[in-house]
Order: sequence, then structure tokens, then C-alpha cells
Amino acid sequence: MNVNHSNPSTTLVLRLPMWRSRVVLFFMFMGFCALLGRAFWIQGPGNDFYAEKGKRVNRVITLPSVRGKILDRNGEILATSLEAKTIIAYPEIIPDDLPATKIAAFAKLLKMNESELKKKLTDKKNQLYLRRQVEPDVAAKIKELAIPGIAITSEYRRYYPEGESMAHIVGFTDIQDKGIDGMEASNDEFLSGKDGQKNVVIDRLGRVVDDLGGFQPPRNGKDLQLSVDSKIQSISFEAVKKAVIDHRAKAGAAIVLDSYTGEVLAMANYPSYNPNQRSNLTGEQLRNRVLTDTFEPGSTMKPLTISLSMEKGLIKPTTQFQIGHLQIGKKVITDTHAYSVLSVSQIIQKSSNIGTSRIALQMEPEDMWTMFQSVGFGQAPKIGFLGAVAGTVRPYEKWGKLDQATMSFGYGISTSLFQLARAYTIFARDGELVPISMLKVDKPPAGTRVLSPKTAIEMRDMLELVTQEGGTALKAQVAGYRVGGKTGTAHKSMGKGGYASNKYYGFFVGVAPISNPRIVVAVVIDEPTAGSHYGGDVAAPVFSAISGSALRNLGVAPDAALKELVQSVDTSLTQKVVLKR
Amino acid sequence: MNRSVVILILALMASSLMLVYSQQRSRMLYAEKNRLEIKQARLNQEWSRLEYEQRELSKSSRIVDIATKQLHMKDPKQDKTIYVKEKANER
Repeated sequence: MNVNHSNPSTTLVLRLPMWRSRVVLFFMFMGFCALLGRAFWIQGPGNDFYAEKGKRVNRVITLPSVRGKILDRNGEILATSLEAKTIIAYPEIIPDDLPATKIAAFAKLLKMNESELKKKLTDKKNQLYLRRQVEPDVAAKIKELAIPGIAITSEYRRYYPEGESMAHIVGFTDIQDKGIDGMEASNDEFLSGKDGQKNVVIDRLGRVVDDLGGFQPPRNGKDLQLSVDSKIQSISFEAVKKAVIDHRAKAGAAIVLDSYTGEVLAMANYPSYNPNQRSNLTGEQLRNRVLTDTFEPGSTMKPLTISLSMEKGLIKPTTQFQIGHLQIGKKVITDTHAYSVLSVSQIIQKSSNIGTSRIALQMEPEDMWTMFQSVGFGQAPKIGFLGAVAGTVRPYEKWGKLDQATMSFGYGISTSLFQLARAYTIFARDGELVPISMLKVDKPPAGTRVLSPKTAIEMRDMLELVTQEGGTALKAQVAGYRVGGKTGTAHKSMGKGGYASNKYYGFFVGVAPISNPRIVVAVVIDEPTAGSHYGGDVAAPVFSAISGSALRNLGVAPDAALKELVQSVDTSLTQKVVLKR
Repeated sequence: MNRSVVILILALMASSLMLVYSQQRSRMLYAEKNRLEIKQARLNQEWSRLEYEQRELSKSSRIVDIATKQLHMKDPKQDKTIYVKEKANER
């Protein structure tokens, strides 16, 4: 070894030159500068890369809200939202060499044409919806196919268990869950919810691990309870349907009102449609005839005219009228049969146009006009239903003598079936007109007095005569209950061209039970062609079928003396069966 | 002086480790909560589906159909029905 050979002085070895530490310091400084520069770069212009990375772990999750249910008066479901899947394709991810068997299976599950599907999948555009509102079990099978680039997301689809019988009341929603028709449309805001969202961090496995705030809870829609009784509705629908088919009519409609509470218990229309499968719908099917169709009410108007005259003290049920021949100007008023003398009761019972005209002509047009207005004719009903029409009542200043006469028996004036049924609540509620509701009512609302109780009760007895021997509507009878009502048979108006000679509306509007009325039922059959076209033959049997079942369902005790039907029973001895869900 | 610095350093290290642990735990719990929320939503959906199915099976038009067509049942005639009235004062 020769250590000291080159550097003999050890002190010189220990003394390091100054420049070395300077160099180290300089490099350290440069190092910090580089770090600082890098930090600036990352924060500023070079940020995009990291922002992109960050997006993979930061997600905005939508928290879906559910639309409220629609329930009937007993809490039965009329409309509900169930989960449905949407199938989305991302064609740029889908491999080109997808096996044909897989495409075939996929097309079958989507209910699509195979070649059409293939074209869609190879079309390199952005994402596209292959099918919406797919049943969850079908979606599960699609998932099993494990095709890359096919995603499945959830949304809601509306279901209507009652189908066609309830279609016009409940209505339906569009694919965006927005109400389009019926109560779905008129209560859309109440029913619809609001989606929430939150910002989260997800880990490598896609699990949500942290909340970044900005949480907005989803707000579900509220449930809407209608006044409709689905049992009575179903009965009404079947009865109307049967009548339309039996009489080969164009259409039919019926409405059932609870005269205590003013609630609509049923509103049936035929033809109808299945709200769960709405393709190729026609306007005929969609129309809610009870609310949106107006017609001349014909003879169903007579009780209103005559009760006004009774209220004014001009006549009594027993007042006798010479019927004979009635000509106003050039026009002759006619009856189906010729009568010489009829009492007021008989004028109602036999539905005499001449008799009613004679009664009407004793009154001032203004009084009749006021009466029609006060029972709601000529005004659109305020029941929160889109498309409810007002009908027409011409101003009384323009009535001639002939107008006054024809209006007294329901020509030259138009109403909807709904308005007609509501007007008859004055007879059912001892003279009071009740506000009508499509939603369930907690307690009976206050009515508006139109007639005195005495007049209303006298008119009810006269209406009962219509359904008895000598009346026009024997077929309206209901076993066990006293019922009353008025028939109507109106020629269909063809606008300016006058009236169609062989096209009719057959009506019946009735009240039951007579001793203590609970329901008002109105029925219209549009253009019956097979057999008789009279309201007493086509509409009265529908009234009978609906009233009988409705009264039984409502638990109304019979008031007709068939035999000793009602027994008093000591309830403590009878076993009570309580059904609970 | 020297001793307290050591204690403080140890405390700092312990606290840092605890922070890591609690952060991890919070993430796990959050993930669990999220999972349960999804499950709740799924069960709610299932409930709605079953409710709908029950309604679909128990709607009156279906019952009437089965009763009349399959079981040949009829509405009782009014004159064969006895109405039972509860005594008002015994309720």
C-alpha cells in the first residue's frame, strides 16, 4: 500500500474546497425549483390529465324518486309505478365478431328483428336506447348474455291493475312519467316526485366509499286517493258494456254519485282501452263521455222544469192539465201517445212533452234560466278533471215561446251526463245541490239549496211512479229497493241540419232508494240500433243493474216491502268477522 | 425536554395511524350504508310489485269472472237475502 504517496499532508485532505458545498447547495436549490415548477404545472395547465383520473372515482349518483300511487276509496291500487329496465347500447364498445347465436338470442329478448338489431349494433354512433320499459326478468336474461357494450339501467313504468274499466278516470302517463290523461294528468304535480342526487367517491371495485356532500334527498310523489269504488266501477263498466253490445250501440256511459257526500263512486265509459297496452288508440276509445260529451238531455229535463213550477206554487202533483193539441207558431209539440187530461204526476210518469210545455209556459223564461244555472248547467264543473265541458244554456233574453217550451223537455239546451247526474242530487238531497268530488271526502260538504225539501220529496215520489205500472221505465226497478228516475230519448242533433230521424240517445237518470236516497245514477246509450231505442228500454236496465249492486255494496238496507227483509239482531250474539289486510 | 419530545412524537405517530384507520373505517361503513340503501330500495320495489300482483289477482272483475264462469255462482236473489241490522243502542 502506498497511501501517503500522492498526498502526504492529512490536514489538507480534511479541508474540503468551498466550491463543493456551493455545488451541492445549487443542486438542492435546483431540485426545489423543479418541484415547485412541477407543482405549478399540475395545478395549472397540466391539470386535465389528473382531472380526468379524478372523474373515474368521483361520481354524481341520481337517486330516483317514485311517482305516487293512485288508490280507490278503499285503498285498492288503481295505478302504481314498478321498476322497469332500459337497455342501452354503446356500439363503439360492442365487438364486431359477436357470435350470431348471441345476436339471435338478444333480438328475441328485445322482441326485435335480428337484421335490424345487427344494423343498429354496427352503426358506430353514440349510445342508443334499444328498448325502454323492459320487464326485470327479461333484463336479467339479457344481462346473462354478457355482451360487452350493452348497459342496463332502471326506471319506472306505470301499471294499471283495473285495466279498461277504470281507464278514463285514472288516465295514463307518458314514457317520461308525466300524466297525459285522466287523474294522472290533472293531479300530475301532486303525484310526481323529484329525483335526488349525491356526489360520491367510488373505489377500484365500484363501491361507494365516501360522500363529497351536495346531497339532495329524492322526494317521492304522494299517493292520491280517489272517491271511486273499484267494485261499483267494475259493475258499472260491465253493465254499460253489455248494454252497448246488446243494443248494438255506438257507445255508452254511466256515472254513480254518492248523494250524501257528493263523491263520484263510478264513472264508466264504453268503448274503452287497456291503459297498460296503449297502441293504436282511437279518439272514440279515449273519450270520457261522462264529462266531455254534451247532448240535449231530452225528457230527463222535465223533473227540473216541473219542480220549479211546484216550488213557485203554481202547481201541485195532483193538478190536472188539459193536454190535447199544442201548436206554437208553426211547430206542433207532439207526444208518443195522445192524452186528454193528465195530472202533473202523470205528466212525469208518462213523459208528456205537451204537458211539460204547458207547465213551462206558465213561467217566466228568466226563472227557468235561473233554475238551469243554479243546478250547474252551462258551467264547466270544477272537479279538477281536464276537458270537462260546460254545455250550453242560451241567455233567456233570446228565448222565444217555442224555445221555452222545447227547453222544458230538454231540446235547445245541452249538458254533459255528469252535469245531469249532479242536477238530480237536488231531488236526492231534499233540495240541495251538492258539490261533486273525484277525491275521497272526509265529511259530507254543505250543499246549496235550490228547492224546498217538500218539493224535492214530492218530486221523488213522482219519479218513483216512472218505474211503476203505467210509467216509462219499468225496467229500472230494483228488487228490494224503491227507486225512481226519469227516462229520456233524444233525437241526435246534427248541428245546423236539424235532427237525425233515426239516431237517438237513450237516457235514464235515477235516484235510489226513494225513502232515503243514497245514490244518483245517470246512464246514456249512444245510438242504440238493435230493438227499441227508448231510454226506458236501453238505459233503464243499466240503471237497475248498477243501482242494485251499488246499494248492496254500500250496505244500504232495502226499503221496499217485498217481505220482512230486515231483522234486528242482537249483535253481541252474532259472531263478528273482521277482515284485515 | 428531550423526553417530552419523544412522547409527543409517539403521540403524533399514533394519532396519524388512528387517522388512517378511522378514514378507512368510515369508508367501509359508508359503503355498507350505501349497499343497505340499495337493498332497501330493491325491497321496496319488491313490495310494490307484490302489492300490484295481489291487486291484479283480487280485482273484482276477475273474481266475478271466476265465480260466474268457473264456479257457476250467482248473486243471491233479493227475496232470498235477509238483512241483518245492528241494534243502534248496543254499539
